[in-house]
Amino acid sequence: MKLVAQLEDLLYQSQHTPNKEELRLSGWRILVHESEAVSLGIKDNSSGGVYTPPSYRQSENGEVFLVWADGKCSQAMVQLGFQDDREYWQQELEQWRQASYEDPDAAHIPAPESLPLVAVEDRAIQKIIAGEDQILFDQVKQWLTDKPSQAKMQGSIQTAWGYRHVRTSTGLAVTYQQSQFVTWFSFDSLVGGGFAKRRLSRPEEQEKLWARTLNLYEAMHMVAPPVGAKTQVILAPSMTEDMLGQFILPNFAGDRVSEGQGAFSKESFIENKLVFHTNFSLCIDPLRPLELGSYLVTPEGVPSDRTVLVHEGKLQTPFLRVKDSVRWGAKPTAIPQGTAGLYLTHKAEVPWVEALQGVEDGVLILSVLGLHAQEAVSGSYSLSAPHSLRIIKGKIVGKTDVKLTGNFLADLAAATTKTAQSELDTHPYLMIMTGVQTL
Amino acid sequence: MEQMEIKALVLSVLSEARSFDGYIIVRAQSRREWGMRLSNGRFERVSTGADSGFGVQAFTKGGASGFATSDVLAEGVGLKLVEKAIQLARRNEAIGTKLNSKIWEAPLVQAEEGNPAHKSFGEIPLVELEEMVMTLHSRLRDAFQEGVWQTSYRQVEEVWCIGRTDGSIVSFVVSRAVLMHQGTVRDQGKAQSTLVHRSGMDASVLIEELEDHVLERKALDRAGFAKAVCGAPQLPNGHYPLIIDYGLAKGLAHEAFGHAVESDHMNESVLGEAGKLRKGLRVARPGVNIIDGPLPGDWAYQPYSANGLIRQTVTIVRDGVLEAGLGDIFSAEEAGMPVTGAGRSESYGHIPLPRMSNIRLLVDRMLPLSSAEHLMDEVKAVRDTLLEHSELIKGEKNLLLLGYRGGQVNPKTGDFVFQCDGIIDVADPALPIYQPSIFSGKILSALEAIRGGLGEGCYDAIGTCGKGGQAVASSGGSHRYLLMDADQQVSLGGEHL
Repeated sequence: MKLVAQLEDLLYQSQHTPNKEELRLSGWRILVHESEAVSLGIKDNSSGGVYTPPSYRQSENGEVFLVWADGKCSQAMVQLGFQDDREYWQQELEQWRQASYEDPDAAHIPAPESLPLVAVEDRAIQKIIAGEDQILFDQVKQWLTDKPSQAKMQGSIQTAWGYRHVRTSTGLAVTYQQSQFVTWFSFDSLVGGGFAKRRLSRPEEQEKLWARTLNLYEAMHMVAPPVGAKTQVILAPSMTEDMLGQFILPNFAGDRVSEGQGAFSKESFIENKLVFHTNFSLCIDPLRPLELGSYLVTPEGVPSDRTVLVHEGKLQTPFLRVKDSVRWGAKPTAIPQGTAGLYLTHKAEVPWVEALQGVEDGVLILSVLGLHAQEAVSGSYSLSAPHSLRIIKGKIVGKTDVKLTGNFLADLAAATTKTAQSELDTHPYLMIMTGVQTL
Repeated sequence: MEQMEIKALVLSVLSEARSFDGYIIVRAQSRREWGMRLSNGRFERVSTGADSGFGVQAFTKGGASGFATSDVLAEGVGLKLVEKAIQLARRNEAIGTKLNSKIWEAPLVQAEEGNPAHKSFGEIPLVELEEMVMTLHSRLRDAFQEGVWQTSYRQVEEVWCIGRTDGSIVSFVVSRAVLMHQGTVRDQGKAQSTLVHRSGMDASVLIEELEDHVLERKALDRAGFAKAVCGAPQLPNGHYPLIIDYGLAKGLAHEAFGHAVESDHMNESVLGEAGKLRKGLRVARPGVNIIDGPLPGDWAYQPYSANGLIRQTVTIVRDGVLEAGLGDIFSAEEAGMPVTGAGRSESYGHIPLPRMSNIRLLVDRMLPLSSAEHLMDEVKAVRDTLLEHSELIKGEKNLLLLGYRGGQVNPKTGDFVFQCDGIIDVADPALPIYQPSIFSGKILSALEAIRGGLGEGCYDAIGTCGKGGQAVASSGGSHRYLLMDADQQVSLGGEHL
């Protein structure tokens, strides 16, 4: 019997005919993932070595959230029991009851609503999982054949396919298939490229990603003049994503805002305070087809919908899970999946090719050391970026090592900050004026 | 699942592979976790969880490997995983993967180690733990009302069993517990956060904290410091004589040197040459030592490797000279180092990688440091000690870096970056405070710059090592403070536009 079915039986019974009155539930929700995944890696120019062998993973696990008759809550991680019997689950239920705590704002199970149609499954990935996986081995072979001869290559391909089940005591019963395809590779651990969506990458996407990475790698072997005080800093799309993850996500989490632990106060949101430049907007959009951050329904049973966090520089709302939304007095919002599903837009965004031509004196930051150690609430950063690329008069001319010092929240508020669109990424190049010095 | 059940599962999966002419490693793990988080006087979350599963790593006779894992412990899954791992290993061999047959040389190990915790996982009921954590949280809030406080507590028990084709079977239990206070303070329109923790093997950390309130005092001191940092000026970019606390020293030892001597990294390590450890290389002044190994009672304790070998204590740097690396069975020989049982993995579902346990950086030249109850008293004691021993470098700032927020290293180039909570100039009797800024440079230069230690060893700086995308408990430390000379390859600070 599947885990989701066992849990449904258990919780339904505990709601309507509990073994003991103290184990009576007034509400519950279940999230279960059933998935299979296949992966293959490259380490030091060798595919499938002892640290990166072809791997298969099967899993069936999830979480339950319970509201007991006395209003207390419990939450627990669950997986199939070693023995498939009711005694095991009764013991679990008793332990969950012991772990119950008072949290009136959380004790709310949303009523079911109609779900949007969102494409989150690529059937081609299911075939790979089912055994037609030659494509993975071929891709890795192709990479190793095409790589620059002197480069030491690392890389990985991961595919996953499975079911997502969401059940609630209020009547929501959703099961749908979803898939995932994630690849990355790097040369000399300095320059890399990646792809992460709910579908396979297309040949033209792979070619463009490969060509872009090769160009950057070649430029890394030329020495460039040092940066000056007025050098423009350009964050590559993956860097923009990392900065959003470090400085924006935590400061827009509803629980942190409500508790006064974010950069912006609750009043700032209510008053729609202008915090970024009016050119900038920020949203969570889980409706885009086959993007990694897309979904049909949140783990709490809230249908997928688009949420604007910042409109033309003004705060609109933090992202709110069910509990946060009760405290906030609003409906639950969309929830980002890490930085996937989070989109930063600028009114005057231009394609990267065009933006690059206009850069007289710049430095392209591909990666930094120490970002995760920065203070999210203040927005301040002090980062080392060895192996950055110097741009002079619209051309990438070679490698340089720099140190960046500034404040990301201030960067997004500055009139001088612009974005440029990347055809291969969901996040843009971010062009900022910030503290930059030779490392 | 208990130790005996897990062992029976491993033996039954191994028996499914009897007819295979290659080699099999089976790793099974059963994990229990209780956690809770309080914020501003309320429980935000109390959760329980359990996760069990197993992984099968198969090697063909030639040495190609395949890996299959499952958290579904139903009948027939063992056979399915064995077949899948063997099938993947054979596919791998067919595409010409790099072969590795070193597992056949692993020594036979049969061992069973019980739970070293003083209190078993459920000995103190969850309800009582909740009361204890709420008491500690409430005391802290009362004592520092201008801050926003979160308190969390987590206890974990992992039962491991590793079995191999050669008859090796190793079973052990790892227990961990940690209490954390995170505070956010605001001043002059700016915000800073601070995080302090107390760790151990079990719920004893709560009982001890209720008795001595050591963590509470630390949290209050750090909150006061964070408030001062809010309005503090920035440091000009430069090269300064430094005094780093033991959390930062652990970060330096772990990120900069530990990873650089792991046997799977020798091709891309600044401490490797032509894929071999540069044994005999002088990397620091005489008297500097770096040691890694499991310490009983420690957050990162693990007595056996995830490949079923005994975890050894290794002196990586002895008297300033690079002496040994952290080797696992698969890559130690190729990296020019002995096998030290260094393979660790996040779970049964991950391939073990050579990695650290508890790493400590110690120097022979240690100045005594008198104990002080509060942070700024201790900072003053640091200044007094340095003055007394003529160790303050005259005519420039002598900067004490407090708190380890994390860091990162590129082992290939030797570039490192660490971030602290804040900085104090102990050359100035007013002990002025500065904003945190990155401590960065070249790892070999940083090691060469170490000139002494202040105070006895503290090895409880805990963290989570993210190597290879896995999250594995790590810990370590140093003397309470380390003294470092100014070096042109090690810098601090940076200015905004």
